[in-house]
This record gives sequence, C-alpha cells and structure tokens, in this order.
Amino acid sequence: MKTNIHNRYAAWVCTAIFSLLSACSGFTDVDLPSSQLTATAVFEDKTTATAAMLDIYSKIRDKGLLTGYNSGLSCQLGLYADELTYYGNTGASQANFYNNTLLQTNAALNELWNSSYNQIYASNAVIEGVNASTALASADKQQLLGEALFVRALIHFYLVNTFGAIPYLTTTDYKSNSKVSRTTEKLVYEQIKKDLELAVDLLPKTYAASDRTRPNKFAAKAVLSRVYLYMQLWEEASDAASAVLNQTDLYSWPSSLNTIFENQSLATIWQFSPALNGANTYEGNIFIFLQGPPPSVAISQDLLNTFSSDDLRKAQWLKTVSNGSSAWVHAYKYKRQSNTGTSVEYSVILRLAEQYLIRAESRAHTGDLIGAKQDLNMTRNLAGLNNTSAVSAEEILQEVMMERRKELFTEFGHRFFDLKRTGSIDEILVKTKPQWNTTDKLLPIPESELLLNPNLNPQNEGY
Amino acid sequence: MNYFSFSKDGRALYCLFFAGIMLSFSSSFAGISKRHFKTILQHQIQGTVTDGTAPLPGVTIAVKGRSNNNSITDYNGQFSINVSPSDTLTVSFLGFKTINVPVEGKSKISIVLHYDTTTLQEVKINAGYYSVKEKERTGNISRITAKDIETQPVTNVLATMQGRMPGVNIIQNTGMAGSGFTVEIRGTNSLRTSANSPLYIIDGVPYSSQSIGSSYTSGNMPAQNSPLNSINPSDISSVEVLKDADATAIYGSRGANGVVLISTKKGREGKTVFSIDYSNGIGKVTRYMDVMDTPSYLAMRREAFANDGTSQYPANAYDVNGTWDQNRNTNWQKELIGGTAEYTNIQSSFSGGSEHTQFLLSGNYSKETTVFPGSFNYVRAGGHTNINHESADKRFQVSFSASYTTQFSSLPLVDFTQTALRLPPNAPALYDENGNLNWQNNTFQNPLAILNGETSGNTYDFLANTLLSYNISSGFTASGSFGYTDLDQKQMNLQPSTIYNPSYGFGTDQSQVISNLMNRSSWIIEPKLSWSKSLGNIAIDALAGSTFQQQKGDQLVTLSKGFSSNSLLRNPASATSNSILSSDENLYRYQAFFARINFNWEGRYILNFTGRRDGSSRFGPGRQFANFGAVGAAWIFSENKWMKKQLSFISFGKIRASYGTTGNDQIGDYQFLDTYSTTATKYQGLSGLQPSRLYNADFGWETNKKLELALEAGFLEDRIFTSFSLFQNRSSNQLVGIPLPGTTGFSSIQANLDAEVQNRGIEFMLRTQNIQYAGFKWTTSFNLTSIKNELLSFPRLEASTYKNQFVIGQPLNLTKVYHYTGLDPLTGTYQFEDVNKDGQITATEDKKTIKNLTPKYYGGLQNHFQYHNVELDFLFQFVKQESFNENYANPMPGTMSNQPIGVTGHWQQEGDPGPYQGYSVTNSSRTTANTRFIQSDASISDASFIRLKNISLTYELSKKWTKKVTCRLSLQGQNVLTFTKYKGIDPEFRVSGYVPPLKIYTSSIQLSF
Repeated sequence: MKTNIHNRYAAWVCTAIFSLLSACSGFTDVDLPSSQLTATAVFEDKTTATAAMLDIYSKIRDKGLLTGYNSGLSCQLGLYADELTYYGNTGASQANFYNNTLLQTNAALNELWNSSYNQIYASNAVIEGVNASTALASADKQQLLGEALFVRALIHFYLVNTFGAIPYLTTTDYKSNSKVSRTTEKLVYEQIKKDLELAVDLLPKTYAASDRTRPNKFAAKAVLSRVYLYMQLWEEASDAASAVLNQTDLYSWPSSLNTIFENQSLATIWQFSPALNGANTYEGNIFIFLQGPPPSVAISQDLLNTFSSDDLRKAQWLKTVSNGSSAWVHAYKYKRQSNTGTSVEYSVILRLAEQYLIRAESRAHTGDLIGAKQDLNMTRNLAGLNNTSAVSAEEILQEVMMERRKELFTEFGHRFFDLKRTGSIDEILVKTKPQWNTTDKLLPIPESELLLNPNLNPQNEGY
Repeated sequence: MNYFSFSKDGRALYCLFFAGIMLSFSSSFAGISKRHFKTILQHQIQGTVTDGTAPLPGVTIAVKGRSNNNSITDYNGQFSINVSPSDTLTVSFLGFKTINVPVEGKSKISIVLHYDTTTLQEVKINAGYYSVKEKERTGNISRITAKDIETQPVTNVLATMQGRMPGVNIIQNTGMAGSGFTVEIRGTNSLRTSANSPLYIIDGVPYSSQSIGSSYTSGNMPAQNSPLNSINPSDISSVEVLKDADATAIYGSRGANGVVLISTKKGREGKTVFSIDYSNGIGKVTRYMDVMDTPSYLAMRREAFANDGTSQYPANAYDVNGTWDQNRNTNWQKELIGGTAEYTNIQSSFSGGSEHTQFLLSGNYSKETTVFPGSFNYVRAGGHTNINHESADKRFQVSFSASYTTQFSSLPLVDFTQTALRLPPNAPALYDENGNLNWQNNTFQNPLAILNGETSGNTYDFLANTLLSYNISSGFTASGSFGYTDLDQKQMNLQPSTIYNPSYGFGTDQSQVISNLMNRSSWIIEPKLSWSKSLGNIAIDALAGSTFQQQKGDQLVTLSKGFSSNSLLRNPASATSNSILSSDENLYRYQAFFARINFNWEGRYILNFTGRRDGSSRFGPGRQFANFGAVGAAWIFSENKWMKKQLSFISFGKIRASYGTTGNDQIGDYQFLDTYSTTATKYQGLSGLQPSRLYNADFGWETNKKLELALEAGFLEDRIFTSFSLFQNRSSNQLVGIPLPGTTGFSSIQANLDAEVQNRGIEFMLRTQNIQYAGFKWTTSFNLTSIKNELLSFPRLEASTYKNQFVIGQPLNLTKVYHYTGLDPLTGTYQFEDVNKDGQITATEDKKTIKNLTPKYYGGLQNHFQYHNVELDFLFQFVKQESFNENYANPMPGTMSNQPIGVTGHWQQEGDPGPYQGYSVTNSSRTTANTRFIQSDASISDASFIRLKNISLTYELSKKWTKKVTCRLSLQGQNVLTFTKYKGIDPEFRVSGYVPPLKIYTSSIQLSF
C-alpha cells in the first residue's frame, strides 16, 4: 500500500519535472499585441497602409515646417523677414527669429529640424513598406508611393531653402542616417525634382479624398512648378503651372476673396484635414487677436504699407484691432479663431493664386509678356485692382514680386524665400531689420545635431 | 509547440495540480486515522520550568517523537502532560536553549532553562531557492519577521521595513490611503528611473511591482497605485532582502536591484489555535507648515500692491479689496488636511494540525479613512490559507498557499494639501448658513466642490502557490513549485458637473467619467532537483532547476462624457459619448535554468557558487539569453580551535566575500520589434499608424557587477553582535535611448549604452543584548547605511538629451539649479550667479550648481524591552539628506497665495537683508527672479530628520485570569515624533503638494486559544 502511494508520488513529481525540463525552446518568443502591427503587416492591407500615410499628414499639420502653429514657418519666417512684428515674451525663441539673433542652440530650430526628418523617415518607411508589399493592389501601391514621394520632396524643399545644403534622405536605415553628410543645394534640388516627377507619374488625377486633404497629381505638379521656378527653369515652371491651371474641371478661380480659405474652395489644390471635426485652422488661432496689444505677433507696418487703400485684401485679409490710443493689424485670411459646429476652414498649403504668379514670372522671363500680365491680373482683379500698368519684362517681374508679397503673406515663408531667390534680401531687409546680416540667409543647423553627427559640419556661416 | 496548450491557460493547469493534491490527501488522511488506534500506557506528570530564578510561562513541553502530544507552561511556569515512563521531554522556548529531559518514571520534574543568545545564528534564512543557516550564509541577506511587522499599524508591507534594514531605502509616496512606496536597495543602478525597483517574490511567485492604475485616474497621488498594497502585513511571517551577488545571482537577470522575498504564514503542528486580533486607531498629518495668519498676509498683500504702484486694488483681489471679510482667519491646513483618519483592523486565524498535516486559515478586514473633509475610505478584505502535508515516511511533501484580497477605495479626486497651503487665510467660509457650498457671490473657488467627485477603485488580487517535493533517496530531492497570480483593477474617476462653480452653468452634459480597467495575470512553474551529501569533512549542497514564467497584462482607459443625470455616472452606457483614451496589452515570457553548489568544510570554510541562464521575451532573437553567476566564500574563524581556547570572548567570527553578476530586464515589452502603433491624433477623422520607434533588435541585458566584503562578529556568547559590509555595485551596458541625430527621424534608439553607474557603500549593523536577567530583557539593534552613487562614464553625454540631467562623476539623483547670491540691496530682488558672465541669466548656461538629493546616510535604532509580560518596542529612523524645502514651488510673495511664515522676513528698503525679496504682485523682474529662486539652491536645504517611526507597548494578561486564553493588549504608534530643522511640511517624503505620511496611533487586543 505504502509503496504504491509513493510510486504514485514519484510518478507525479517526475512526470511534472521532466515534461517541463524538456519544454521546447522558443518559449520566450511572443506574439505582438493587438495595439501594434509589424511594419510588414501594415503594408499588406490598404486600410493600415493608408493610416500610415495619413498619420504623416497629421504630423506635418501639427509639427514642424508646415504647421500652422507659431512654431511653423508661416509665423517664424514671417517674423524673420518683414511680414510680422513680435510682441510676445522677450525670452521666447520667437524673439530671436524676429530680431535675427538666432543661436544654433535655439530650441525652435531643433523642433523644425527634428520633426522634418521624422516626417521624412515616415515617408521613407511608407516607400520601403509599399515596395516590399506583396498584397497591396498596384493602384493602391502607386497612390501611396506617389504621396510618400511627394511628401519627401516637399519637406526637403523647405529644408534646403531654410538651412541650405542638407542631407537628402531616402532610407530608414538609422545607421547610415546617423552619419550622413550634407548634400549640395544643387543635388538636393535634383533629388526633389526627381521625386516630384515620379510622384506626378504615380498619382492619379482625382483626389483620394473628396475634401482635397490628400495630394493628387496636380498637387505634385504645383510643387514641381515652384521647384522649377526656384531652379530658374522658366519653361518648365510655366508648363507645370499651366498643367495645373488647365484642370478647369477640378479648379476654378473664385469670384470673391472671402471664401478662398474656406474648405470648399475650388482654388485649393491641397489642404490639411483638421484633427477634430469642428476644428478650424491653427493659423486662425494664432494670428487673430481680439484686444491689443497683441499677445504674440501682428502684421508689420512695412507689409501693411504695401497695400493700397483700394486693395480688397487690405480690408478682407487684414483686420485692425484698436484699444483707443493704438491700433494693430492681424492676418485675417483665416477668419475662425476657434472651433465651429462643423469645420469651415482648413489650412491650405497649395492654391491656384501661386500657380498664376509662378506662370506670370516664368512668362516674363521667357518673353511672353502678354501672358505674364494676364496671369498677374488674375490676383489683382480679384483684389479689386485694375490691370497692371507694367510694360517691360523688368517692370512685370517687379510687379509680380510685389503681388506675391501681398497675395501670399503669412503662408509658409514665401516672402523670405522670394527675397532670397531673387537676390534682393540684404538690400530689402536691412531697411526694416536692424540686426540683419547677410549670413542670416540660412538658419543655423541645430548645435546638438552637429555634436551628434560631426559629418554635418561645417555649420552655416555666421553662427 | 505543445507548450501553448498550457501557456495559454495557466488556470486550467493550476486546477489540474490542485486536483492532484486533493487526491493525494484522501489517501494520506486515511493513513493518519489508522495510526491513531495505536494506544500507549500513559500517566500524567507535573512540573515547573524556570530560568533559574523566575518561573517561565509559555514554554513548550513536547514528547519526543510524538509531537501531537504537547503542553505549554502556565503563568506560574507549571505544566502537566501525559507521558509513558520511557519518554523524553523536549523543552523549548524562544531565546532559551532547547533541552531534552528523560522522564525516567518520575511524576514531578523541575526544569531549568538557560538563556541562549546564539539562537539567532541558528535560524534558517530563506534565500529563495534554498535556505541557509544564518551563521553559514555567504551572502548578504537582511530579514524582518512577523514580530517586527506586528508592532506596526500600517497597511503596506513595505512600510514595515522602513528603518529596519541596512542598505534598504524606502520612501512613502504620500499619506493618501493605498499609495505606494519607492524602494531602493543599495542605491540607484539604472539611468532609467522606472527600472530601479527590486524583484518581489511572494512564496516563490514573482509579483510584478509595476504600478497599476492609470495616470488618468491617479491625479490624487504623485505615483500610481502599488500592487503591493494587496498583501496584508499580518499574513507575513518574514521578509528577506537579498542584496549582494552571492544572494541575488541565482535570480540572474532580475536581481540587479536586489530581491525582496516575502513569506506568508504557515500552519503549525500542535493543537488547533484560534486567534483574533482587533485594532482601532486614528491618524493625523505629522505636522502643519507654519504659514501666515490674516494680519501678516494682508499686510503682505497691501505692501505688494503699494510696491507695484497700484493704489486701486484690482477687482479680482477679493482678499484685500474689501470683498472678503478681512477679519476672518483660517488655518486652511486644519480645514482641509486636518481631519482624523480612522483605522480599524480585524484579523483572525485558525491554525493547527498533526505531525503530517498542518493548516492555516485566516481572514482580515481593514478600513481606513482620510484626513480630508468628506467621507472617503479605503477598505481591504481578504483571506489567506495554507495547507501542508507530508507522507508518513516524510518523503513526499506538499504545501499549498493561497490568498485573495479585495480592495475598495473611495478617495477624493485631488489632494487638498497644496490648496490648504496656498488659500488666503481670510478666504470665506466653506459653507453658507444653509449648509450649502459657499461661492461668496462667485468670488471664491470653493475647494470642497471637488468632493462631489470621487476616484473609486476596486482591486481584486489572487495569489496561489503549490510546492511539491519528493525525497528520492541518496540525498536527492525533487520538487516543483507552481504559482499563479491574477490581479484585476477597475478604477473610476467620477467628475460630475457639480465639481464646478455653478456660475459656469455646466449641466450634466459636462459630467465625465474616466474608467481604467486592467488585468495582470501570471503563472510560474519551477521544477527543481536538490542534492545534499556529506563526504568526510565536506558537506555538499547542490541544486539545479528551471523556471517558466508568463505574465500577461491588458489595460483599457475610457472616457465617458455627457450624462442625463449625475447619478448615472457609474454606468458608462448612459453617457452620450464614449471614447478610448488608451488601450494596451502585453505579454512577457521568461525562462531560466539555475543552479547552486555549496561546499561546507567542517562548518569553517564555506564556498557557494550560484548561477543562472535567463531568457526573456523582452529581447530580440539571438539576444534573449544571458548568463549570470556569482561566487561567495565565508571563513568562520571562530570555529578555529585556537580561537575557541584563547579568545573565547569572541563567540562568533566570520569573514565573507562575494562577487558576481546580475542583470536587469525592466525595459518594457516589445521594444525590439519593428512595429507601427496607433496614434491618438486624427486625420480625416481616422486614427493614424506611426512607426513606434527606430528598429533595433540588437540590445541586450543591463549587467550589474556586485562585489561585497563583510565581517560578522559576535562577542560574549553573541550578546554583542555586529556586522560590517563594504560593497561596490557597478551597472554597465545601460539600456537607454541612445541619443541620435535628428536625421534618423528619431531622437534616440533603445540600445545598450556604454555608460556605467557605481554604488559604493557601507552597511553597519549592531545588535546588543544589554540586559537579560530574571524576566527582564533589553535588546538594542542599530543599523547604518551610507552609499555613494556615481555616474562613472557616459559617452557623448554633452550631445545627448541627458546633458541637463546627469553629470559624470556625480550621483544620478541630482538636480542642476541656479546659484542664489542674495538680494540686490537696491531693488530687493533675488540675484543669481551669471556663470558664463554673459550678462544674462539663462537656464542652459547658468543652471550649473549641482545639488545631490541622494541621502548621505540613513539607518535605524531599535530598542526592545521586556519585563515579564510587558513589552516595549520602539524604532528611531534617521536620514541625513538634502531636499526641496518650503521655497520650492512657492508662488511669488505678494501674490494671492498664502506663504510660509518665514516670508515675513523680507526686503522693504535699501539694505534690508531679507531673506525674502520685496513683495510684489505683477513686477516682472521680481516674477522672473522668483521663478529662478524656485529653481535655485535656495530652494534646497537640509532635510535630515530623526523620527520615532514606531513605538509599541504590549501587555499580555496573566494566564491566572485568562486561563487557556492568551490575551495581549497593545498600543502602537507610527511616525510619532519628528526631530528636524526642515521647514517644509514633512522631511521624509519628496513630493510637494501631497499629503505626507500620517502619524498613526492604534490600540489593539489579541486573543488566542
């Protein structure tokens, strides 16, 4: 009896122990939780692959160069050039933009740089993921590849214009990306051009989202026409702009200034979807103020003076706030400062007016002065102004620059870039910006970046 | 892949084993009942037991070989027992040498017991996978037992360890019921602040100390709930803390920060004992901060406005502009944190058993309220059971322990401490004459409105463990340990519209509830084979085993908004909108092989080798396994014959040393995977997917090399016993986010950084038996720890995001602050050192003064007095440290916020010494100066303290009166007295704005029969 019991115990214990000791290896390999997907799985399904792409747009909307917040270029370069005057806290990093006293340690620079490359990383991840995908339909692959290439080119475009020679990154490999050197501006432009031309081929004419919040073929074309313009390839710039402007079934020139920035506008080529239903733009939120003195920024006196009194843009895109003794003016392109029942305004990144002005400038350079004037009159007439009186190519070009300043103010640093590419920046800015220095044309590469990757040396001149 | 069948369902597996145990009982019970038929010729004998002078009550008299037959001496030291003439009596009593007395046919026996001061050296210490005699251990293990735990009226087991163990620094996070503790064993090892917790093991089952709860529902505490609150201190028989390499290396990858072994109470052989313990007590905050009264406060406000040149008080300056009664004077600390918390605790247990089967059943209920207004409370109720059984030939043993604990808490949404310190002393009454909340015509944000909300939590925790062992023969024993834990928590943060000022006009559509649902379950299986053998002079102990463990967790946090009525808040289904704030799940698997071999040569030379090979799912393929090991050696020189003869006053002497490696895998799950995670931000109304991180599968274990050298010595039969340890722990291969340039798309990548952190220190312990004479006993024990923490290396620190956090050559727990240079005599504003002399004070360039917030040394002094049946026990805890003082986080003097009383010493005119700057409300240079002052060395000062942490007086009623019932009455106090120069609210804890640990007094009665 006793022996029996013990045999049973022994059997129990031994079976338990030996079955466990022999448990197979691989025990410590675990499956993924349902809140995460492997990179491979993301690109095996259209919905998840699209979610990866859409997240890049929301990142661009919320952070970095193109955000409408005051950390984006619209505000920072507006202050840096002559569009905005700063009224905020003197210790803030924006004050250094306004005073042209940027240091390479400025925290805002870090954010611009880091979020841009994060967005580029995400685009490269989409490109690599889509290319490796075996399950995505080829139309979906083309759509996503086109969008990712478009984003990659766009961000690099703003980076090269802000920081000069910068690394053009086409891979997610952190080992190589952490040791990259700077690519010359010329090569960066070649890459941008290449990516955009590819995107134009890949993207369909129709918008993937009816509210134009994802770029189509003509969004890529529109950026391409700007890139050609900056590269002084006048014919190409003019043709690309025409390609966009000729899409009359998609785009049409509005009859009033007031609705241009509303989300139904047919003059919009590409705009950001807001984070919440009912939300309007960050631009509206940061530029509009109700009482003076302004809490942060206001339109500069210099910009205000360029508008003639009969220019409707002065009345409709600017607004004066007075406290009885003093008055200040804020940008009023976006009219909603906060949320509405349903969203009325989206942040517009690409719109027709710029294409007309690109074509006007290109045509003036190629000698098509009549065509140039026609294009120039588009924005003038909408603003209630008469046809231009310019005659010579030179006069037209001057008029175009003036028109660009008035039409595109506080939109992603157009003014600053225009002054740079036309070579007039030192001559112009020295008038209103006492601390302006010719080396200020380029912003400094963040110091921490140079410390972490010495291959990015030398720092831009003057810092 | 057959392991999936059991890995997926630990519960099923558990049931299977449980059923097996039941089956084995049925046969063995039969065996027991059979043996009871055996009859022996017996007679009753009587006797007395004394210590030579006085009778000893409570001495156990047992008959050798028949341990179910025993007796206990009464108050007069007398006993009677049935024996047969040839029996031998075994007489034992704690603190005395056990003796055997043959009956030899006598009917009256007088027994004299001799004090044994060396018994503590014979105690078996739990070292986890094995146990070792205190005197023969080669590693560093500190221990407290139920005796120390019982004297303390606290609800968390970690609180009972405070001040009692060298090398163990424990800080209570807040005095709010159910809050957690920060535990650091021998300093901070990891650069990641979240990775410095020790490994907790309860009866062999690892218990995750990762906080439960969610930041969304824990606004009333500085840190989220600690799961260790589930453990009822009265169910614990001992807590051992393993510290050096010799003791921790067998826990391999999880031993870097030390190991805390918690053993619960077990059933004991002998007659069935029922005991019940009831205690009741009160708690108050340890002290108030001295703040201004109304006259000084209003004088400050008026002066501030005058300084700013404001003659007309602004409309919202209700305190000075006449809106509020300027004669009211309230110390808001009394109103808001000055309540009395009530403590009730009932514990009962039922235990006993035969030689082969013992059991213990216990239940407990405790309830505590808070010091805040409103009726809030925290209730814990649970049960614990233990059953042990061994076969008749003692070769097969099984032990089963389980406990189930429920916790129900209902706590305020916020901690009122900060409001209590800042509210102007002339602020209006909280209630109007009708008993409604007073808003004083919308000029007063009534702090009590928040009482309409609540953070409620239900936590259910189940923990079970079965240990089977079989003595195979020839020194081999096979055993298996099977454990299961399951923790569920549901927290709700109820924010009804009534927590807002009614003038906002918020209806119930603005009411919202945040719910947190979490579950964490784990199982562990540990088969083990041990072997012991004596080969001539050498005794060998060896063991080998393996571990399989899985932990699964998930958490869902939801926000429900808009209710038709505030009484429906607890039902999220009645909300108009429900959204998910976070949803998370994780799976952790762990596998290991461990071994130990111990050589003991004549009890003089001991060599101990331990090792472990660990695999963890937290690492990528090829990186999952790593080896850890240690060697420990001890030389008990007092066993030397020459020593015994010539230096007989040295009763014990041991030198021991150990060296080895342990690891740390506290990095979170799935970090090595290339994944996308969902984001909360939306585009086109859809949530996005973003790359979770840069993909690096090539990171491995953090390693911690520990070196220890110690001397232990006992003098005069161990009446004086001391131990002195020197240790050095170096953590390298630190797992951190290695800083990367932004061009990589991320700022860092999870990888091993070649940074090294060192903790070097000494631990000293002294235990003396000062008096032991005729029923009077006085023992003292003292411990002291001093640790120097240092960051030895950190490649490219200056370029990394850690550059403002760490400094090479300095401890990890530092803060960089401005150096305060005094008041500007002309303007009366604070001034700071301009380190780089650029004429500006900037955070990056001028916050260069380094303040070390690590304690310089800490320890405790415990005294125990016993006179017959009265016992007095008290513990002083002391800490030498610097910490943030009353200036930290203090709003500018002059603004609408009350101030520490010391602020009356301020600048008024040129040349005034201050120390505080001139009052102001809006002066921008003073505002800036005050912001810097808070971040300067003026906000850090000495926060050393000596605290009477615990005092307990126990009286055991004479058996003359109580007969068979043992009745003990006791009075206990916690945090009773504090001696400190610190002017903040409490020096012990570090977080401002939360209620500090409370001062608690309880009285209790314990009956057992």
